[in-house]
Amino acid sequence: MLYKGDMMKMNKHLSGIVTALTMMLTAFGGTGVSAERTEFTVGFDAEFPPYGYRDDNGEYVGFDLSLAEEVANRRGWTLIKTPIDWDSKDMELETGAIDCIWNGFTIEGRENDYTWSVPYVDNSQVVVVKEDSGISSPSDLAGKVVAVQTDSSALAAFTGENATEENIALYESFASLTQIGDYNSAFLNLDSGAVDAVCLDVGVAKYEVEARDGFVILDVPVASEKYGIGFMKGNTELRDEVQETLFEMLDDGTFARIAEEWELSDNVCLSREETATEVSVSQTADKKKANIGEICLDLLPGIGSSLLIFVLTLLFSLPLGLLFALGNMSKIKPLHWIISLYISIMRGTPLMLQLLVVFFGPYFVFGIQTPAGYRFWAVIIGFVLNYSAYFAEIYRGGIQAVPKGQREAAKILGYSKFQTDLFIIFPQMIRVVLPSVTNEVITLVKDTSLAFAISYAEMFTLAKQTAASNTSVLPLFIAGGFYFIFNFVVALVMKQIEKKMALNK
Amino acid sequence: MLLEVKGLRKDYGKNTVLRSIDLEVEKGEVISVLGPSGSGKTTFLRCMTMLEDASGGSMRFNGMTAFEERDGKVVYAHKKELQKIHSMYGLVFQSFNLFPHRTVMQNIMDAPLRVQKRDRAQAEEEAKALLEKIGMTARANAYPDQLSGGQKQRVAIARALAMKPDMLFFDEPTSALDPELTAEVLKMIRSLAEEKMTMVIVTHEIPFARSVSSRVIFMDKGYVIEQGSPADVIDNPSNSRTREFLKKLEEE
Repeated sequence: MLYKGDMMKMNKHLSGIVTALTMMLTAFGGTGVSAERTEFTVGFDAEFPPYGYRDDNGEYVGFDLSLAEEVANRRGWTLIKTPIDWDSKDMELETGAIDCIWNGFTIEGRENDYTWSVPYVDNSQVVVVKEDSGISSPSDLAGKVVAVQTDSSALAAFTGENATEENIALYESFASLTQIGDYNSAFLNLDSGAVDAVCLDVGVAKYEVEARDGFVILDVPVASEKYGIGFMKGNTELRDEVQETLFEMLDDGTFARIAEEWELSDNVCLSREETATEVSVSQTADKKKANIGEICLDLLPGIGSSLLIFVLTLLFSLPLGLLFALGNMSKIKPLHWIISLYISIMRGTPLMLQLLVVFFGPYFVFGIQTPAGYRFWAVIIGFVLNYSAYFAEIYRGGIQAVPKGQREAAKILGYSKFQTDLFIIFPQMIRVVLPSVTNEVITLVKDTSLAFAISYAEMFTLAKQTAASNTSVLPLFIAGGFYFIFNFVVALVMKQIEKKMALNK
Repeated sequence: MLLEVKGLRKDYGKNTVLRSIDLEVEKGEVISVLGPSGSGKTTFLRCMTMLEDASGGSMRFNGMTAFEERDGKVVYAHKKELQKIHSMYGLVFQSFNLFPHRTVMQNIMDAPLRVQKRDRAQAEEEAKALLEKIGMTARANAYPDQLSGGQKQRVAIARALAMKPDMLFFDEPTSALDPELTAEVLKMIRSLAEEKMTMVIVTHEIPFARSVSSRVIFMDKGYVIEQGSPADVIDNPSNSRTREFLKKLEEE
């Protein structure tokens, strides 16, 4: 859960592979900057109100989107609102899938990574806690669990290379700093007591605290920063066009009107006096890139976590599945009904949803405060419940595949029912089900990545976080390689077991 | 008297398959049950071995009641007594039903060890003697799938004998075998008869039944329609349906 690796501290070397990959992806997905632009694709995190989010009608709205809409209208472009996965924003931009990131995007700490517009919002990082938490200033956060969004400015404020000494000291006083994918689940975590505080942009904080009950913003901000529009490095042409239109909107009062609509009048800072953070293209080489060794080192704790999920899930679900299979075949009707309902729910709903229910259910359904380490156990419980259901069905098929004559022969020989199951039926069933079990085990290796749904830092979650902070796809490819090798070994082991179980050697 | 069946009835829903069947088996007797398919002879055997529940009548082994009819309902003995009764007989299936995940030796030894909790060394010695008897010492460590049908059936008979039963039931023991493999199995059953093993055999092998049986019963449509010595029933049947059945078999 605790991820203290300083992802911002990057090696200056640029990996040749990364460049090659990036170029390849760009070639595939490039929009081809044509002279006649007709579309303007804005990438944003759809869970970042009030800058960009999905409203009650299912429409993507927000301050940034309103601005983008107005710019596009004035330029005669068609605005395409593309909600993106925040961890993948750089890939989206580099492949040309989006033209810019316009979404409460903090400039500080990322100056060299994008071609920036002038800042238009002055934002600071604040801390949100529960009203009755007893936390009244950042110093009260010592020993507490604090959540930030993945690759957010709040994260950078604590662990980034520009982090102040004060903030680094504060960060070190935390029990842990948890990275969570989106703010909605951050607040669910806060509400349920899984985390003690959420650190985030003041604009979002104001919106969330107003929209939800029982939360307060601490008076003292942790850091202050500015928002800009991020374009792909070197794309000054588009940046200048968008920026020029923004200035026009500033002059005729449209900008102020939109800010007022979103109650952000106090936060905006757009001014012709400000100069865009200009970075020459030659500096691209300075982009923070880690080498393969460092990335692997970053991913190491995740590999351990993924393996642990894998081993514990099998350890519990393989025998539990057998109990459920027997329960499902039981002559006691109510037991059969309960088990078959359970199995159909587990097989009929997404594992991701089941993980969310297991993690948040105790608090939101029963009002039980879950302990700090529960996140991990929620992952294990969710996986075990899900996989037991699948194994139960596989076992049932295997047991039914054993000929009736086997039971009759055992009965005539005087075996008890228990002995018959244990010594006659199960050994034959195992041989029948082994190929299907192998399939499930291989699926489980890949499914461990779903633990990200409740922000458990397994392999894939870390790979996405590392990819986001390195602005490189390399960690994802390394993660892919890991899953492949893992499964290769699993397949090899299962084959050996199958060979051992085969009777005609 | 070893086995006494009285008024045995078996219904499947509204369909009555066995109607009031009586059978008495003395120690050392070999009884063949003949009859056309659908006559109920396999169901009769399955009721006697308690693989199927009877719908009416009573059955006693060695004087112990396995089930009897009380107020129109069949009541079985308690678990402990049934266990004792189960240990008195063995059954050889048409389809062998050997345990495929166990070697020949394990198939023979497993139940004596697990069910009868016999001494391992002793059980092993007895199993080896049985293997010798069925002429399969060389295949002791083979798995059933590696054996011919005749070999499988011989192992199945040895497995039944290893439990030291008072009597053996055979359910068409050669029906799943090619003619050339049938002979070896029949030869074995014949040698058991010579050792005075009590046996009830459901079979289609008329010449075999004639030579090995002390008594033959002929069933049709759920009734025993004729019984007596092989000479009486097979060579000189009094019932027209028996004659018809035997004639048909002869023509084949």
